[in-house]
Amino acid sequence: MMDNFKRKFIEEATEHIQDIEQALLELEQNPSDKPLIERVFRAMHSLKGSGAMFGFEKISEFTHNLETVYDLVRNEEMVITSDLLNLTLASVDHLSALLKEDADLSEALMQQHSRLMKQIDEFVLADSSKKNAAVELTKPNIESEADQKTYYILFQPNEDIMSNGTNPLFLLDELYSLGECLSIPITKKIPSLDEFDPNKCYTTWEIFLSTKSDINSITDVFIFVEDDCELRVNLVCDYNLLSTPLFVEKIEDVRNKQQEIGLSQVQDFVANMVSPEVKQLQKSKDEKSIQGLKDQTISSIRVASDKLDQLMNLVSELVTTQARLSLYAETDGRPELLNIAENVQKLSRQLRDNAFSIVLIPIENMLTRFQRLVRDLSKELKKDVVFEAEGTDTELDKTIIENLTDPLMHILRNSLDHGIETPQVRIEKGKPAQGKILLKAFYSGANVIIQIFDDGSGIDTNFIRTKAIQKGLISHETPLTKKEILDLIFIPGFSTAANVTDVSGRGVGMDVVKRKIADIRGEVEVESEINIGTTLTIKLPLTLSIIDGLLVKIEEVYYVIPLSVIDKIYAIEHTKLMKAFNNTIVLDGEQIPFFYLRNEFGLSENNTTHEQIIVVRYEDKRVGLALDNVIGEYQAVLKPLGKHYKKQEIISGATILGDGTIALVMDTNKAIKQFAYKTLITEDSK
Amino acid sequence: MKAGATVITSYLTFKLGDEMFGANVAKVLNILEMTKITKVPKAPNYMKGVINLRGSVLPLIDTRIKFDLGETVYTTNTCILVLDIDLNGEAVHVGALVDSVQEVLEIEEAHIQPPPSIGSKYRSEFIEGMAKINDEFIMLLNMDMIFNTAELSLLRESSGEIEVGEEKE
Repeated sequence: MMDNFKRKFIEEATEHIQDIEQALLELEQNPSDKPLIERVFRAMHSLKGSGAMFGFEKISEFTHNLETVYDLVRNEEMVITSDLLNLTLASVDHLSALLKEDADLSEALMQQHSRLMKQIDEFVLADSSKKNAAVELTKPNIESEADQKTYYILFQPNEDIMSNGTNPLFLLDELYSLGECLSIPITKKIPSLDEFDPNKCYTTWEIFLSTKSDINSITDVFIFVEDDCELRVNLVCDYNLLSTPLFVEKIEDVRNKQQEIGLSQVQDFVANMVSPEVKQLQKSKDEKSIQGLKDQTISSIRVASDKLDQLMNLVSELVTTQARLSLYAETDGRPELLNIAENVQKLSRQLRDNAFSIVLIPIENMLTRFQRLVRDLSKELKKDVVFEAEGTDTELDKTIIENLTDPLMHILRNSLDHGIETPQVRIEKGKPAQGKILLKAFYSGANVIIQIFDDGSGIDTNFIRTKAIQKGLISHETPLTKKEILDLIFIPGFSTAANVTDVSGRGVGMDVVKRKIADIRGEVEVESEINIGTTLTIKLPLTLSIIDGLLVKIEEVYYVIPLSVIDKIYAIEHTKLMKAFNNTIVLDGEQIPFFYLRNEFGLSENNTTHEQIIVVRYEDKRVGLALDNVIGEYQAVLKPLGKHYKKQEIISGATILGDGTIALVMDTNKAIKQFAYKTLITEDSK
Repeated sequence: MKAGATVITSYLTFKLGDEMFGANVAKVLNILEMTKITKVPKAPNYMKGVINLRGSVLPLIDTRIKFDLGETVYTTNTCILVLDIDLNGEAVHVGALVDSVQEVLEIEEAHIQPPPSIGSKYRSEFIEGMAKINDEFIMLLNMDMIFNTAELSLLRESSGEIEVGEEKE
C-alpha cells in the first residue's frame, strides 16, 4: 500500500521537477516574468509538501530551502540572476537524483547534497544583507501603489446638458487623465427611436477612479456642470481597487449585463477584502490553483501507461477478430450478417483511431531535456547557441517518443560539438555570433517528420571521403554522389570526430542513431552545406501497432503493403512482364522500373495470363512491384517477427488474418533498396 | 546450471533422425502438432518461417538443419516444440521442428556426465551433458545456446570463433 503511494509521489514529483526545470529555462529568457516565478514557487511548494507527507525528508528539506529563495524572488526582494538559475538547475538535477535513490543515499550524493544546501543558504544570507537596500529601492514603488485611492463616482447629467455646449464625454476624458479609470454607462433611460431626441443626453455613468488626487480635484472636473447634473463622489477604499482582477472581472460582468453596480454593492465588495494585499495575493493564488485543477480535470486525466498498453492490445485483438467476422460474413452471404459485419468494421476502425490518439503525445514533452542539454553543453563548450522548436504540438505514439529521445539527444550533441562553431570563428566567417539549432516537427501523410537544423560548419564531404577511404569503407575509385558520401556517416564505426571529446565522438556515432530510429520503423537522412549548416531529417510512422495496408498474394503467401506508399495498381499481361526490357515497363506513358517479386523471392515464374503491378513510391521515384494477386484493403495489426528474423529487413512484421493465416508486412523501401543493390552487383560481375 | 532454489531435473526427449536428444522441461512451453507454416522470403534455410501461435507470431527453426541432418521431412510424428529462449537476457519464444517427441524423463544430476571433450560431433558449448538411459545415450542440449546462434553451425569443424547473438552494446 505504502509502496503504491510512494510510486504515486515519485510520479508526481518527477512531474513537478520537470515543471520547475522547464519554467527555469523559460525564466532564463525572461527573468522578470512573474507567472513563471509563481510557477516555480508553486511546484517547489507542492514538492516540499508531498515529500514530507511520504517521508522523503531529504527532498522536503532541500526543497524547503529552495522555496525560501524563490519566496524572496516572488516578493521581489531578490532578482533572478544567472548564478541563481545555475544553482537552481543543479538543485533540480539533485532532486531527481534524490528521488531515484530514495532511502539509501550514496556518499557522493550526500556530499552533493550538503554542498548545494550550503550554496543555497549562502544565497539567502548574501541576499538578506542586500535586502535592506533592496527594500529601500522598491519601497517608493510600493508606496506609489498604496497612495492611490479608489472613488466611486455617479455622474447623472440632466437631459439638456448638451444644450449649453457641454459634452459629457469630455468630462469623462478628464477623469481618465487623473488616474486609472473605469466607467460603466447606464443606458436604460434611452427611449425608443421615435421618441429619441438627439440633442438630449439620456445616459448616466458609474465611474471607478483610482487616483492619487484628492476628492476636490475630482469635483473640480465637474465644476462647470454642477448645476446641470447630479454628481456623487464617494471614497470607496484607500488602495487601487482597479488592480484587483476580481473586481475588474465583476465590473466587466456587470457592464456586459447592462446592469448598474450601485455604491452599496461596491462597499460590500470592498468590505469583503479585509486586508487587500494579503487577501488579494491569496485570492489570486487560490484562484490560480483552482483554475489549474479545473484545467486538469477537464482537459486530462492520468492513466497508468500499462493500462493504455492493455487497451491497445485489446483493440488490436478486436481488429483481428473483426477481420474474421467480415470474412465469415462474406462466405456466409446472409445480407443481415453482412450488414452487422460492416458496422462492426466501421466501429472498430473508429475505436482503433480513438485508442491510438490516446497514446499519442506531443513532442513538446521531450523538449525540456533538449533545451537543458543545449544550454548546459553550449556553456561547457563556450559556444553561444539558441535552441528553437517549431511544431511542438505534433503528436507521436508514446513508445516512439520514448525511443526517440536518445537518438535526438545524440544528434543535438553532435550539432553542438561538431556543427556550431565558437563565436569567434563564427564572426570570422561572417555569421552571427550566436548559433542556432532548430527542431522542426510536422505531419506528412502517415508520417511525422522531425528535422534538426543547425547553422554550423556543415559536413565536409571531402573529409568524409578521405576518412572512409582510410578506414577501407570505400576505394579511391568509388564514384559517389554527395548524398552517398553523407550517408557514409551512418556506417558503423564511422565517427568523424577529429578529437575525441567527452561530448561525442566515442566511436558509437550516427550508426547507433540510425539503428535506434530504424527500430521504431523510422528513417533518417542528412543534408549539409559547408558553412551553412546541416539538416537531419527523421521520418517516423505515426503509430507502431496498426497500419492500413493492401493485402496481396504471392504464390501461397499473403503480404501486406502499407497503403501509404502505394501510388497505383495496374493489371498487366504476364508475357508483357516477361518480355520487358531492362526491367522497365511503360505505364500511363511513363517508364517505370519494376521488380518481379517471384524472382526476387526465389520462386518460380507464375503461369497465369495476368499479373498485378503495384506502383509504390521509393524515395522520390516510382517503382513497380509485380505480384500474383491483389486481395484488397486490410487493417494490419503489426506483430513482430521476432529477433530471429531481425536480418530480414524487407519484412517489417507480420499480421494475422481473419482465418488465422499469417500475412507478412513488407517494407517496400528496404525491399527495393535491397533488390536494386543486388541488380547492381550482378550487372557489375557480368 | 542456473542457480535456482529448485533445479528442474525433468527432460523432454525427442528424436532427430536416429539420434536422441533431451531438453530441460523448464525451457519447453508447449508441444504443437504440425501446422500451416508461412514462409518468410530470403531467410536462411533453417528458418522455416512463422506460425500463428494463438494470435502471436512464432518463428520456426528447422532443428535438423541446425544439426546438419538435412531438411525435415514432415511425417505424422513431426512436432513443434515451443521454447522459451534466453536471448541476451531477453526471453524470446521460438518454435523448433523435431522429428518426434518421446517422453519426459527424470534424470538426476548425478547421472549426467559431462559432454565428451573430444570425439563428439557437436561443439561442447551446445551440450549440457550426456545421460545413459536404457543403454541409449541422450544428449542433453543447452537450448539457449543452440537457438541463440544465428547462422552458426553446431558442428565442430566450423570456424572456432563463437559468436553468440549480434548485439554488442
